[in-house]
Amino acid sequence: MTWRGNVVRERLSAGSKSEHQAIVLVTEAGERFKLRRRGGNPFQDPTLDPLEGKRIECEGILRGYQIIMTRWKVLD
Amino acid sequence: MADKVIVTNWSALEKKYGRGLPRIRRALARLIAADQEERGITTEVVGLDSRVEMGSARRRAVTQADDEAQVKAAVDAVHAAHTPDYLMILGAWDVVPMQQLRNPVRDDEDKTVPSDIPYACAAPFDRDPARFLGPTRVLGRLPDLVGRKDPAYLVSLLGTAARSSSRPRKEYQRYFGLSAEVWKVSTALSLIKVFGTAEEILSSPPRGPSWRNAQLAPRAHFINCHGGASDPKYYGQPAERVRYPDAHRASRLPGRVSNGTVIAAECCYGAELYDPKDSRGQPGICSTYLADGAYGFFGSTTIAYGPSEGNGQADLICQFFLSAVLDGASLGRAALEARQRFAALHTHMDPTDLKTMVQFYLLGDPSVHAVAGASHAFSRSKTFQRVFHGAKATPGARAFRRERLARTGANLQRTLGAVEPSRARAPSGVAKTLSQAANESGIIRVLGRQAYSVVFPPSASAGVKRFAAARRKRQVFALVGRKSTRGRVKRTVVLVATVENGNIVHMRRVHSR
Repeated sequence: MTWRGNVVRERLSAGSKSEHQAIVLVTEAGERFKLRRRGGNPFQDPTLDPLEGKRIECEGILRGYQIIMTRWKVLD
Repeated sequence: MADKVIVTNWSALEKKYGRGLPRIRRALARLIAADQEERGITTEVVGLDSRVEMGSARRRAVTQADDEAQVKAAVDAVHAAHTPDYLMILGAWDVVPMQQLRNPVRDDEDKTVPSDIPYACAAPFDRDPARFLGPTRVLGRLPDLVGRKDPAYLVSLLGTAARSSSRPRKEYQRYFGLSAEVWKVSTALSLIKVFGTAEEILSSPPRGPSWRNAQLAPRAHFINCHGGASDPKYYGQPAERVRYPDAHRASRLPGRVSNGTVIAAECCYGAELYDPKDSRGQPGICSTYLADGAYGFFGSTTIAYGPSEGNGQADLICQFFLSAVLDGASLGRAALEARQRFAALHTHMDPTDLKTMVQFYLLGDPSVHAVAGASHAFSRSKTFQRVFHGAKATPGARAFRRERLARTGANLQRTLGAVEPSRARAPSGVAKTLSQAANESGIIRVLGRQAYSVVFPPSASAGVKRFAAARRKRQVFALVGRKSTRGRVKRTVVLVATVENGNIVHMRRVHSR
């Protein structure tokens, strides 16, 4: 599947054992998905940090609230 | 009547394994034979989709494998017809679905909580987790790999169960105790409660994930780390920095797990069964432990909770499970007793308690006794041996335990209250107190305020009538805020006030982990 949207950094799982700052895609429809690189650390992945503030298109699979990305590109 | 009933879905298994299905049937036959010969347990397999096999339960067979309501009703009918002491689900959620319960925690990302607890309860199908606070059935799930076509994995797990044997308690007294460094104090407390010592605790960082064979060799594993969805690793965290190094990797486990290992993992998603293709073909840590000879894995399907200091929620339910295993309970009874003990701690459950109750479950054959129960000297007497034909325990012992567990579960179902979201506004005095507590707790930003009413079952007032008036007006108000600590570390703090008649009767502070 493919998604497009803006990438922001957000606090997820607040108050839980695994609260963390995550890279999140806000789609054009307003949906929010945590972004994760397949095989990447789900809590902190420096590879994804440069995406913050960018508009991207990504491909991957949706699992619960997260997109496990296999490919992505910055649109502008 | 069978002592143990294994429920599965033949058509779902056939769809996955095709010509490999006979291998699974043969492995099941070996488990049934071993149960009878080695453990004196009569085992029967019921295909929930089989009209013939469901006939004895007088219930229509399941026509759609993923129809949770159908499957729940079918399992209930099988249990009512056979009244087994052990109920085992064979297959992962793409064979027998987990029940998708409503997530009682409004502020986390799990849309639902996949749960097996409804199968352990007599209550009918429902999405409301509060309907399943009184589990009575000794239950476990022996999973296969989601989405896979090779039956070898499931055949291997059935073989491990068939060959299982009980060992003396001392074989489980040594432990592999792994903690994220940030939770080391809490984990040490858990280890002391279960094993009497925390001297062997390992924390990440600085240790891991390349654990030596000798470190992994103990047969009891207690793990308190971070975990992510569809992820074959657990993660550590230093005490004062935001960093998440690998603490435990599924890929490092094969060939290093001692036969008969039993694991309790507090981690978020610690026992999630996901399709290995989501993670470059690597099954999760729970699946990998089982493939390498572990007897049972107790963990969570979703985001889990616990306090930063002391013990609570995930800490407690995992402690209760391992403690029961060490005391000689079957793995299924240990899981049931853990749920019941956790539930019994509460007059009513707040959202995180409720989620804890339904998200933890057992992967493994519930009838396996990892630790041999201690027998009484009288059981070695000639009279005892003659009357009970050489048995170590009376046939009634297990029946009495099931009766006690059924009574406990029924009492919990009848008496335990749980929160329901409400739109009530906190009384001004309560709101002010929460704000003052937030200031005192170093909260620099309030993220949200939540309100809940506490709802008890209609039968809950029997015997406790003097509390009825207070219970009717009991509410829970929570303030979620962010606290600034040293450096860049920011912690979330949740302040929970229980209110009766407008007055605060209880307060607690839960820190993010």
